[in-house]
Amino acid sequence: MVKPIITVEHLFAQYGDTHVLKDVNLEVNPGEILVVMGGSGSGKSTLLNHMLGLKTPTSGTIMIDGVNIFTAKNKQLRNLRKKMGVAFQGGALLSSLTVADNVRLPLEHNTSLDTQTIDIMVRMKLELMNMAGTGHLMPSELSGGMLKRAGLARAVIMDPKLLFFDEPSAGLDPTTAVELDELILTLRDAMNMTIVVVTHELESVFKIADRVVVLFAGEVVANGTVDEIRNSPDERIQNMINRQPNTQRDDGEVYLNRLLNKDKN
Amino acid sequence: MNIEIETHNNYQVVKLYGEVDLSNSRSIKLDIIKLIKSKNNIIVDFTHLQYIDSSGMASLVEAFNEARENDTEFHIVGANGSPLQVLQLTRLNTVFNLADSVSAVSNNG
Amino acid sequence: MNALFNSVSNLGAATRKNIDSIGLATLFLLRIVSSLFTGLVSFKQVIKQIYFIGNRSLIVIIVAALFTGMVVALQFYDTLVRFGSVDLLGSAVALSLIKELGPVMTALMVIARVGSATCSEIGIMRNEQQFDALDCMAINSYRYVMLPRLLAALFCVPMLTAVFDLVGIGGGYIVGVHIQGESPGAYIQGVMDTISFKDVLVGQIKSLVFGLFIMWIPLYYGFYLHLNQKNMGAEGVSNGTTQAVVMSAIIMLFSDYIVSSLAL
Repeated sequence: MVKPIITVEHLFAQYGDTHVLKDVNLEVNPGEILVVMGGSGSGKSTLLNHMLGLKTPTSGTIMIDGVNIFTAKNKQLRNLRKKMGVAFQGGALLSSLTVADNVRLPLEHNTSLDTQTIDIMVRMKLELMNMAGTGHLMPSELSGGMLKRAGLARAVIMDPKLLFFDEPSAGLDPTTAVELDELILTLRDAMNMTIVVVTHELESVFKIADRVVVLFAGEVVANGTVDEIRNSPDERIQNMINRQPNTQRDDGEVYLNRLLNKDKN
Repeated sequence: MNIEIETHNNYQVVKLYGEVDLSNSRSIKLDIIKLIKSKNNIIVDFTHLQYIDSSGMASLVEAFNEARENDTEFHIVGANGSPLQVLQLTRLNTVFNLADSVSAVSNNG
Repeated sequence: MNALFNSVSNLGAATRKNIDSIGLATLFLLRIVSSLFTGLVSFKQVIKQIYFIGNRSLIVIIVAALFTGMVVALQFYDTLVRFGSVDLLGSAVALSLIKELGPVMTALMVIARVGSATCSEIGIMRNEQQFDALDCMAINSYRYVMLPRLLAALFCVPMLTAVFDLVGIGGGYIVGVHIQGESPGAYIQGVMDTISFKDVLVGQIKSLVFGLFIMWIPLYYGFYLHLNQKNMGAEGVSNGTTQAVVMSAIIMLFSDYIVSSLAL
């Protein structure tokens, strides 16, 4: 029995009257790639933001590496974050800094290494991301795929044991998307990272995932291996796999009322 | 993390034990560079090294460069497991002189 | 009856929202200031921001000051000549510039050049999750992003005000002496005789207060851009920037009245 590195228990999130997350439970084991899959509006981004400690839930707990991130003291949280890397959807590079300065940011703020060591580490990570020689560019000069890779370079600069990746292949051409998927697998295999990927791209899910958690309207509807998900009898999951929209068919009367904007009364 | 320095023929053998990471890579680098500055040939022994992160690797690159500038030898021996994977991932296996063991280097020199 | 209830309840909601945002803005400022004591401020960042503010504003402030000084001298000359007291021109120009026009006009120029740029920059950073990224890297956004800008504004606005005052008095000299033909000695004597240390101090205190508001408000609007769902995307940034600029100008002028009335 391996002790999970992340445990999400009974997580609820509510904004106004909208229930974004409804009783989400999941575990991430060390060394695995867990993919949280769901369409837009499924609550997957909200779940990620909670796991990163950027949002506070209505109720529920998330333990990362034995620390409850919602009740942790600032210093505890800071120490935890030094062990976590996060690659954001659009890279989230600081627009006023060059690529190299962005990548070195965590080292400059959290370590006391020599400048030369930091320089070499930055170039090593850029090489790994296939971005050699781009360190002097500004984020505005990069393509979408390069922004993501630069963001990934920054996320792994401290060699974290836990990596979060938001939408690795969204908005990329197929070749670049495949490259990023391979990079994720390399990072896990060579650096022994635990990786949580949030995505809606099925190809990449089936390629990289050890385990998949499917979110639908804020609820976990499936949690299993790639094969288990593929063969799931759940209609919603099959619709997602076969790219069928999930439309609700109501009777003519309700539809007419909606067209006439009468449903509110 | 532990470091032991032994003399073997005309080499200084730096044996690394345990894990090299952000917290100790700088002091290891300074130790090795000090040996290089006094014109010693260096063998870094990875045999008992369990883990090395990229700050450790970057430090070794700096030491390697220092050795070149001082015309001394710099070898890494006994890389295995995770450190070997990191060497391959960063393609530094194409940069360093790698060998299996200390005797493989020192007996040829 | 229903309409009455609705309007009362809307009023209540609006009031509550405004009080909420004042509270949030105050908390925001407290967090920035307290970040000063939890670690070192990046000196490099402060210098960079001082350069940014100075570089953006200096030319425009010199030009604005020149014309402001000239037009003030022109108007005063026209009035004073009727009472035969043209020799008061220097004092009148200098006093109005140092006590009132210098700080206010400088602040308006800085709002236009720096406040708007700052708000949109911070808003874009929010939209692109750059603050989330800083949080996740265990870097304090208040200390790393906000504090240098606030310190730079507190440093720059009084300096720029001083430049404005000097150039404005020079502009008045051009009109008074070279165009209207008053004697240079009378103008300069007038300036020297009337200006007291207290006048300069009040002007500088004003510009320090303005410096605080005209950086704090754009930072606040940019940083909390996401709280208003309507404010997402490029349109949101431009909305937020407009609101921030208007709000900065109004609060700056309001604080001008408060400081003036306290100083008199």
